[in-house]
Amino acid sequence: METDPNLQTKPSNSEVVIIGAGPAGLTAAYELLKTGINSTVVEKDGVVGGLARTVNYKGYHFDIGGHRFFTKVKVVDDMWHEVLGEDFLTRKRLSRIYYNNKFFNYPFNLSNALFGLGIWNSTMIVLSYIWAQMFPEKPEKSFDQWVTNRFGKHLYNLFFKTYTEKVWGMPCNEISAEWAAQRIKGLSLLKAIKNTLLKEQSKNKETVVKTLIDSFQYPKFGPGMMWEKVTDTLNKEGSNVLLDSDVEKICIQNNKVETIEICSKGQIKLIPGKHFISSMPIRELIQKFDPPAPKEVLEAATNLKYRDFLTVSLVIDKPDVFPDNWIYIHDPNVQVGRIQNFKNWSQDMVPLEQKTCLGLEYFCFEGDGLWSMDDRDLIELGKIELGKTGLVSTSLVEDGTVVRMPKAYPVYDSTYLESLNVIRDFLSQIDNLQLVGRNGMHKYNNQDHSMLTAMLAVKNILGANYDLWKVNAEQEYHEEISREEEQEFKDLSSTQPLVPESINQSIVDQAIIRAFSRLDKSAFATAIGVVSGLAVFLATIFLIIKGGEVIGPNLRLLGQYFIGYTVSIEGAFIGFGYSFFWGFIFGWLFAYLRNFFTGLYILRIKRKSEYSSFKDFIDYI
Amino acid sequence: MTNRSDEEKLLEAVALLNAKMLGLILGISFGLMIFIVTIWLVIKGPQLSPSGQYVVGPHLQLLSQFFIGYSVSYIGSIIGFIYGFAVGTISGGLIGWIYNGIVLLRQKY
Repeated sequence: METDPNLQTKPSNSEVVIIGAGPAGLTAAYELLKTGINSTVVEKDGVVGGLARTVNYKGYHFDIGGHRFFTKVKVVDDMWHEVLGEDFLTRKRLSRIYYNNKFFNYPFNLSNALFGLGIWNSTMIVLSYIWAQMFPEKPEKSFDQWVTNRFGKHLYNLFFKTYTEKVWGMPCNEISAEWAAQRIKGLSLLKAIKNTLLKEQSKNKETVVKTLIDSFQYPKFGPGMMWEKVTDTLNKEGSNVLLDSDVEKICIQNNKVETIEICSKGQIKLIPGKHFISSMPIRELIQKFDPPAPKEVLEAATNLKYRDFLTVSLVIDKPDVFPDNWIYIHDPNVQVGRIQNFKNWSQDMVPLEQKTCLGLEYFCFEGDGLWSMDDRDLIELGKIELGKTGLVSTSLVEDGTVVRMPKAYPVYDSTYLESLNVIRDFLSQIDNLQLVGRNGMHKYNNQDHSMLTAMLAVKNILGANYDLWKVNAEQEYHEEISREEEQEFKDLSSTQPLVPESINQSIVDQAIIRAFSRLDKSAFATAIGVVSGLAVFLATIFLIIKGGEVIGPNLRLLGQYFIGYTVSIEGAFIGFGYSFFWGFIFGWLFAYLRNFFTGLYILRIKRKSEYSSFKDFIDYI
Repeated sequence: MTNRSDEEKLLEAVALLNAKMLGLILGISFGLMIFIVTIWLVIKGPQLSPSGQYVVGPHLQLLSQFFIGYSVSYIGSIIGFIYGFAVGTISGGLIGWIYNGIVLLRQKY
């Protein structure tokens, strides 16, 4: 492992305490180790990897949720390759949607969807799409309005409503439109125009999107393998990963975390530190503060909600069941949301060639009916629902197990942002505590975003000043980062000030807005009219002043069009009036046509961008 | 929501013209236009007029009523370019100035 030679002000060993051994926590520890600093990682569970763990049941490996390794962040990609080496496989992606006893291609193919749904549904899709474009719902506050305005009500009802509600456990009209806007970043009109104009960039972007859709990388034995390897390295190099260690108290003094109190195998231990990085759920973090956080902060923490998740893994006595990596189950007649075929992620996930292992994913809330069901009942439910889909005969299911994953997704409901802001305000007063990861920031960060927050947190400990909340909030953040590893961090520092909202708009954006903004038709028409009128007026006056035997015999010909015009003082005014009129008409028409064709061009780019987002929309839910 | 406000900004923005640039563009365009049509007629050579005389560009020659010193000749093409450039620049600048003035006035009220 290489160490960072540029390190100047580094804390000494074990002065950094990291809460949580998921991708964010372990990345932080690994990055610190690279700079020669050992840290202490505290993990509540008995396994590492957090949401990206791999469960091993009788040699069958299960991934909790299906973690595709794909990122635009070069430093993250580099770390994956560095740790996994030869064990990092490139996999082809195949996934379909199951709805109404039929399978639909995914990413969406419009013709496949229209043919598969029949004439009535296809007609309704087209009509409701046109309707949505003509009469979009305003203001756009909820997820259902956001999707309907873009894809039409009928398509939304058929393909997005059921699945979204299965995943999030709440009606789509209660999900904030902001969530969709944050997740579906490809729809930025300015970005789309920029990509279209800057051909080279556009080509790269298409390659990236294509790559995400067509293939991904995956560790031989699931994502947990990555984090087990990182843990081995940390332990070998002198860092300390404490498993089964629950944080009991976070002791604050003088606006600083002094120590954390943990309970490890029944014993209470105090871990002091100079710097603390937390990836534990914010709600729990706030509740562990000693002295307790102010009442309004505790209330805000209680308002943060999570969606939980369980996987029923079934061992099937058949070598091949279906070719997909996973299938989205949109059918409202079954509760299962997604079915993973782990063997198609990596052959090594299944110990025996003649067997297959499927993961039926159920989205639920901790303590609700599904969550509280007995494992045997859940396995039985899984078998029945698998049979209902017609994918596998229930008689082929020979074994099964259940894995419950609490707090899998932070919920973006109508109050979360307000609560989060209260908490952020409070935590900003604590100098040596940084929040990273998905639950650590109550932000729908994917694995790569979580890792990036950890990397930046480490840079902050070493003296940098990055705003971790900008990660996964601003597209440019990631694209900048993917260019030049170290330099980009420095560039970002200057472009990402520590303010809640960036007010600086890039020069390119400003230029695009200026170039594509509409002409004021009346103003342009008036300007052309005045100049045309003046031209004729001055030409007439000039010839009068010049004099001669016959004044302006040629200009007089204008009188054939401008009835009443002569080369005289009176004629100059009449000529001005006529020229102004025709100039005005010409100017107005020019501005109108210019605005019309510019609008058409923007609309075309927008539709292209929306269709591209529509194709893999489910990935973002 | 940044994306949304960007989109709104784009769709609501009214263009302002760069009057100097518009003047320069129109000036060069007018100047070149007169230069080229003059040169073209000179290269084409004299044509028989209804009065039975051979003349070069009798109609374009009328420009000399406004552009003193202009003629349909090689030197005239240069003089025509200068006149055309001047008229185009003034016209373009004036169009931009009037347009911007009206737009800003409308935005103000």
